[in-house]
Amino acid sequence: MSTKGTHIPDWLAVPFAGITPAPSQERGQDLFPTGNWRAIRPVYRDKMPPCNNACGTNEKIQGYLDLVKRGKYLDAYALIKEDMPFPSVTGRVCYHPCEQACNRGQYDEAISIRAVERFLGDLGQALPRDVVTAGRPNGKKVAVVGSGPAGHSAAYQLARLGYTVTVLEKSPKAGGLNRGGIPDWVLPQDVLDREIERLVELGITIKTNTEVGKDVSWDELKKNYDACVLAVGLTEPNSVRADGEDKHGVVYGLPFLRDIGMGTSKVKLGPRVAVIGGGNTAIDCAREALRQGAEEVTMITVEGNTSEMPCVPEDLHDMVAEGVELMHGRAMTAALGNGKVEALQLCRARFSGAINASPIAVDRESPAERFAVDNVIIAVGQHASLPWLPDEFKNERGTIRIDRFGRLGDTNFFAAGDVVQVGSGQPLMVVNAVGDGKRVAFNVDKVLRGVPLQERMVPIDVITDLARMNMTYFPKFPRVRQAMLEPASRRRTQDEVIQAYSEEQATEEANRCFSCGTCNACDNCYLVCPEPCIVRSVRSNGLYKILVDYCKGCRVCIEECPTGCLEGVPELDFDTGVVRMDTAFAITPGLHGRQAEELRRLPDKAPKDIENWR
Amino acid sequence: MPAIEIQRQMLPMFPSPNQGARFYNPELPETEPFVPGHRTCAGCGPSIQYRMTSKASGDNTILVGPTGCMYVANSSYLCTPYNVPWAHTQIGSSGSFTAGVAAAYEAMIRKGKWKGAFPNIICEAGDGSASDIGLASISGALYRNHDCLIICYDNEQYANTGIQASSRTPYGGMTTFSPPGPTIPEAKKLFPKDLARMMAAGHPHCYVATASVGYPIDLMNKVRKGLNHKGASYLMVYTPCQKGFVYETPRSIDLGRLVVECGLYPIWEWNPEKREFDYSFRPQNMRPVSEYLKLQGRFGHLHAEHIATLQKFANEQWRMMKVELPAALIRAADAKNLVDMASAEAAAAIAETV
Repeated sequence: MSTKGTHIPDWLAVPFAGITPAPSQERGQDLFPTGNWRAIRPVYRDKMPPCNNACGTNEKIQGYLDLVKRGKYLDAYALIKEDMPFPSVTGRVCYHPCEQACNRGQYDEAISIRAVERFLGDLGQALPRDVVTAGRPNGKKVAVVGSGPAGHSAAYQLARLGYTVTVLEKSPKAGGLNRGGIPDWVLPQDVLDREIERLVELGITIKTNTEVGKDVSWDELKKNYDACVLAVGLTEPNSVRADGEDKHGVVYGLPFLRDIGMGTSKVKLGPRVAVIGGGNTAIDCAREALRQGAEEVTMITVEGNTSEMPCVPEDLHDMVAEGVELMHGRAMTAALGNGKVEALQLCRARFSGAINASPIAVDRESPAERFAVDNVIIAVGQHASLPWLPDEFKNERGTIRIDRFGRLGDTNFFAAGDVVQVGSGQPLMVVNAVGDGKRVAFNVDKVLRGVPLQERMVPIDVITDLARMNMTYFPKFPRVRQAMLEPASRRRTQDEVIQAYSEEQATEEANRCFSCGTCNACDNCYLVCPEPCIVRSVRSNGLYKILVDYCKGCRVCIEECPTGCLEGVPELDFDTGVVRMDTAFAITPGLHGRQAEELRRLPDKAPKDIENWR
Repeated sequence: MPAIEIQRQMLPMFPSPNQGARFYNPELPETEPFVPGHRTCAGCGPSIQYRMTSKASGDNTILVGPTGCMYVANSSYLCTPYNVPWAHTQIGSSGSFTAGVAAAYEAMIRKGKWKGAFPNIICEAGDGSASDIGLASISGALYRNHDCLIICYDNEQYANTGIQASSRTPYGGMTTFSPPGPTIPEAKKLFPKDLARMMAAGHPHCYVATASVGYPIDLMNKVRKGLNHKGASYLMVYTPCQKGFVYETPRSIDLGRLVVECGLYPIWEWNPEKREFDYSFRPQNMRPVSEYLKLQGRFGHLHAEHIATLQKFANEQWRMMKVELPAALIRAADAKNLVDMASAEAAAAIAETV
């Protein structure tokens, strides 16, 4: 019988048959603290979602998708900006390793994370003032050499930490590979200009037309700045070591794109163009060649088929849709022609090793083919050019020798980006350079403050997979497609090919996110608990609480957690505050506690007595 | 004497937890009429149901609990986990007690002795009380149309006395009253009493519905619909019993979904205004019954032909719901396409030696 609403006289307010305590919403019915039935305790533990882990700069992707779901776009933008200085750029150009890792990809289709990032980036660009502000000035000066992705990221993070940052850029315009390596129809120049303005708004000085080794010497860098980040990138194109590569009409991929990007291009393409190489730069070159007036563009790769090509499959698909021909398993051995290239000599070839960076084995037995062209664009990778670097810091690959913290010896010089990542197994992509710049910036800060350094690659927690989640809560839902210009209309213009999401589309796409391994306050555990011993004062991640005095360990909440955030931990793993089994009534003193006296004295008894205690 | 208008609590419906592709439960009331500190088994289905029901009905509620698990396990030493008025009745008199409470409040309001809204009066009867022992009194309460909600939390057996067969125990379900053996290898030969349809057919002026703990928001909305309905309403809720069904405790909600997806527990509503059944509820998937049976020890003795019989029964339910049957389910109704449960032979052999 509930005694709620019954007046109990003082002399009866003792354990007494028929007059027993009424339960309350706050404490429950504390005559029956059933927590001692439990063998496994549910514990909320947010785990690493696969997207966050795959991202080169570990953007909190699950976090901002969750904020977009709730319509908190500005908070979502601020969350991206913690790790990524220019979401509007990566929202267009990123090779989205997050989407490849997305658990939804194994279920129906991966979330279009890049498109949502672009939506947020464009939102940030439209703001009159950025949400990020510079840190309190600490009086220290840092130079960042290079304004590409890694340099931009390092400068941005250092400015947020309160350093006075100067960026040195050898080109007339800042932006580095973002400007020189990415065509306009992927990343319009005004988007990048706006992001660079944001850097200047943070108080960063950008010195263009300033080249290290020419305008500034190594010793000046050492003398004038407390620390320096070298993010110079890979500037010099690789050659294919073919005869006649110096002929007129042979151009190299990255300078070709860079000159168009900087507006200083003098190349006039003929109607027939061949592109040598199968990577992302080669694809950009082939598509740019169409826009520069070429009629027939052929891509010649050593890889035997498209699946082996080291490129983003979607870009390859778009390139083929625009009408670029593919020719596999060939290597260029010579450029033929009298002063100007007229044809290529092609031989059957393959990579001698398992990976495509290995040397090329040319098949000398089979007859060479002649392939008539007017121009050839060679895009087979880049290498560094570091004549100003002291020899002690050079490694056997001709790039910068760093320790695992990104530091050059014990100097205050650090290096980041492609120039140190080449050959390390890391993809040479914008987002990886941004991540490297970020981590190195934090290490610069640590060196200048005199605290221990952190490794560039941080060890990761458990990554959530589909088996941890309850998929019954997620109906299959198709991906929201980004609109694209038709191949026929886009192949001749510099207009942006992929179109942005509208607000509704961005929310709809973010809604598809599973929030793998992370609580998103869906309230399901709260709703299905049979006790109910899951409480929350505010509905939010981290504020759910399990009343361990009552939880019987049925694990319904763990099974029904859609995201896999809840997990079961054996009770014996908790060494403090454990409610051990003695009897159902022994825990709250008073009341029926007397019944448990026998058990309470049990530890003092001899083992023999314990066996026969009853 | 001027007639006093009865002020009723019209409870709003909850929106669906599926917002586009997103799963996010609606805002639930803060109030907690059913609190922790009770001695039901871990993962108890009826307890889940009790909590959801009382949360949906709110603080101005009176609960009536005829004998059953939710009385025996929850009111030990005269202590209950109910934060609202709750009363135990005899197992046979659940309907008459509930009718009495409702009539008393109507009378008190009429006489001006009770100010405030008419309380939500809910009778929480187990399937033993609702389908066997207390059937007559519940039928009487529904027939006289007292303003109350009578819920049958259907765990398909008498659980608190140690798992005995009730008239809601499904075909093939093992209980201590229906053990499998060489004579009756399927353990229970009879099909369960179709209680909710009986109530709808016999008391067409009442709101009648079935629900399952696998669909919490649907269940809570039906509770509120039943309470908002002026007159008697009846709800039958599937609540798995971990001890009787013999399954792992975490699967409680999962079984509540599977039983609907397998077609063994059709979810529908009886619309008293239009006098017709509403079969519009559709589970996300349709599955063969074996997926539901294999999770439970009480079906561990079934042979292929018994599973086929159950599949035929499920297919009939789908047809009743006017759902087109996929070919896989029609195939699964043929014993040739099925295999025995893992312990089918062993169960019969052991029984013979006893």
